[in-house]
Amino acid sequence: MKLKEIRLTNFRQFAGEQRLQLATGDGRNVTLVFGANGSGKTTLLNAFLWALYGRLSDDLENQHRLITDTVWRATPSGQPVTASVEVIFEHDEIAYSVRRQVSTTKSSDEQNLPQPTLRVLHTTPNGATEEITAGQQKIESILPERLSRFFFFNGERIEHLVSQGAYAEVNQAIKTLLGLEPVERALDKEHLPKVASRLTAELRKFGGERAGQIAEELEQANSNHAQLRETLGKLTDEASEVRQERARIAELLRRHHIAGPLQEQRTRVEEELAERRDAEQTLKTRRRKLVAERGFIAFTAEAATKTAELAESLRQRGDLPAPLKRDFVESLLDQARCICGTDLVPGSQPHQHVTEWRAKAGLAEVESAWQHLSGSLGYLDDERDQLRQQLQDTAAEIIEARRRIDHLAEEKSRLDGEIDKLPAEDVNRLESRRQELDTHLSKIDQELGRTHSDIEAEEARIEQLSTKLRTAEIKDELAAKARKRVDVVQEVQRALQRILDIRTETVRDELDQRIKDVFRKITVKPFVPQLTTDFELGLFQTIDGESHPAAKSTGENQILSLSFVAAVSDLAREMRTQQTGDILHEEGGTFPIVMDAAFGSLDRNYQREVARALPTMAPQMLVLVSKSQGTGVVMDELERYTGHVEVLAVHSTNTEQDHEDIDLRGRSYPYIRTRSEQDWAELVEVI
Amino acid sequence: MTRDREKVEAVMRQLSPEAVQLLKRVLEIEKESLHVRARAPEITDAILREVKGLIP
Repeated sequence: MKLKEIRLTNFRQFAGEQRLQLATGDGRNVTLVFGANGSGKTTLLNAFLWALYGRLSDDLENQHRLITDTVWRATPSGQPVTASVEVIFEHDEIAYSVRRQVSTTKSSDEQNLPQPTLRVLHTTPNGATEEITAGQQKIESILPERLSRFFFFNGERIEHLVSQGAYAEVNQAIKTLLGLEPVERALDKEHLPKVASRLTAELRKFGGERAGQIAEELEQANSNHAQLRETLGKLTDEASEVRQERARIAELLRRHHIAGPLQEQRTRVEEELAERRDAEQTLKTRRRKLVAERGFIAFTAEAATKTAELAESLRQRGDLPAPLKRDFVESLLDQARCICGTDLVPGSQPHQHVTEWRAKAGLAEVESAWQHLSGSLGYLDDERDQLRQQLQDTAAEIIEARRRIDHLAEEKSRLDGEIDKLPAEDVNRLESRRQELDTHLSKIDQELGRTHSDIEAEEARIEQLSTKLRTAEIKDELAAKARKRVDVVQEVQRALQRILDIRTETVRDELDQRIKDVFRKITVKPFVPQLTTDFELGLFQTIDGESHPAAKSTGENQILSLSFVAAVSDLAREMRTQQTGDILHEEGGTFPIVMDAAFGSLDRNYQREVARALPTMAPQMLVLVSKSQGTGVVMDELERYTGHVEVLAVHSTNTEQDHEDIDLRGRSYPYIRTRSEQDWAELVEVI
Repeated sequence: MTRDREKVEAVMRQLSPEAVQLLKRVLEIEKESLHVRARAPEITDAILREVKGLIP
């Protein structure tokens, strides 16, 4: 998707028709729009969202007033009035025009507007223009609304991408980007499972009683499995929300003049505690794995001795190595002549005699196995010592981790008590809520653990029942056919679930790597971002070789979110270029980024680095900035990538302030015009 | 993304030919229905028809 132009007519501050053309050049892909606070930068960002999806961002006030106030006031009662936004763009070498419009006849001072209408046009290959009947669906297929949060956003509010409550939503949006929505829908209980259920009923009807019974059990197991996964998702979301509220309370306590220092200490202790608990779990898993995979070696001491004794007794008896080899006896029988010269005619006594010897002779393979076994016995002693040492080391590490956990838990409990006793009512209230949340979170964590193990058990049961269903005896031909149908549907269900898991995991790894790359380019701090399996984005720093959660400033949160957006954009582009037409690997795309207040909370250094990174973040960028944010270092860095510059001049009826201009590319442009007859915004092109 | 592709292909290789065909058709049906906002019973019927067509 490449944006060409946006046309606004009587839309919010934009009185009359205003046009903004966007830079589309390869080397100069940035469009810069300068505007004072309140000039309409956020409205311009929202104009894209409204035209494409019919929605406005939550931070926009008085959302019902879509028509410019001055235009509305100037319209006589009973007269028609219209506001519209038209976005012109190119996608897959086809030009599109999306125009959303609201028209009404004024009947009161309040704007009670009807539903807007949408008109989507596209050019056909022969150059004609045609209207697309299902316009909204077309837009959805080009850039799904779920994904718009990554490409149309306010830089100052972008932090929500790294807030804990957003992870589930981010996870969903990523699935949209990957084109996994059809897979998720197919697995919905009303789709494939419903088909399986109807086919199972047919199986029973046609007389496959036993198979039908198994199929029903299997269907129940599949339904349980789907329900458990749904529960898991809900619990994960709930835990995210609780954690988010808990983090907000911790932040309020940290900022509190009395509780602040104690809360800071507690946060540090809690972070280390969480980390040590994770480390303890890792150690326990390592120990379990050691025991499961190599634990048998501990019991081989006796077996080794017995085997050695047995081999020795065979050797002493002269059975090992065998005095006579079976291969040799067989060759005599084949040649029908003994080494003494006697003919070995089948049925004759000499033949029978030599044949008896074949049974007594030693097998070369057995001898070789004995030799191999004797050789391996020596290694077992070393392996046993090694295993013992590894288990002892792991046990010592677990004890040490546990000791540190106990110490930290005590420290936390002491800090909890101290904060609880502070003589400040607001602190007590916050603390009491925090404790409630802790209790709640602990319950959720327990339920999460239970749900995980229930899912594993159900998966094992499904596997077992599937095998039973395939082997159940069926006599009737119709029943056999019905079983085959049930079987194939369930096979598809399992495969789709695996594909969903694989692709989600891979995209997480890919995004994680890209976020790290972008973040490293922007910041000099030794922080490393990390995207968890639940799509939670955290920032860590290494101290004494160990990774700890880093204390993030608002600016760092903003950079982290920007890195995330850049990573998503980059991944979408790569997926688009790798498309093979395979239904399992579609989607992706090249999308522009429209960004308001890109440099909002950043200091001068970060402003420079972000400005340097912006042109590479997406194939096309529209950056909306104020004079204080956008001139200086930002303009220095962005100038060479900027294909188009515009000023959003604000005309205000305010009589208290003076005019203000902005100097760009050696010329002066109106920035704020006071004492105007009406309040409105005007786009002025910078030459 | 290559690794991802290989893993998905490995899952697909383990499937019976009928299952491969059905899986692809199910995804096509779901994708089409996503755009035209089809209701679940219509989708279920469409998948059922596919299964019966595959194993007549």
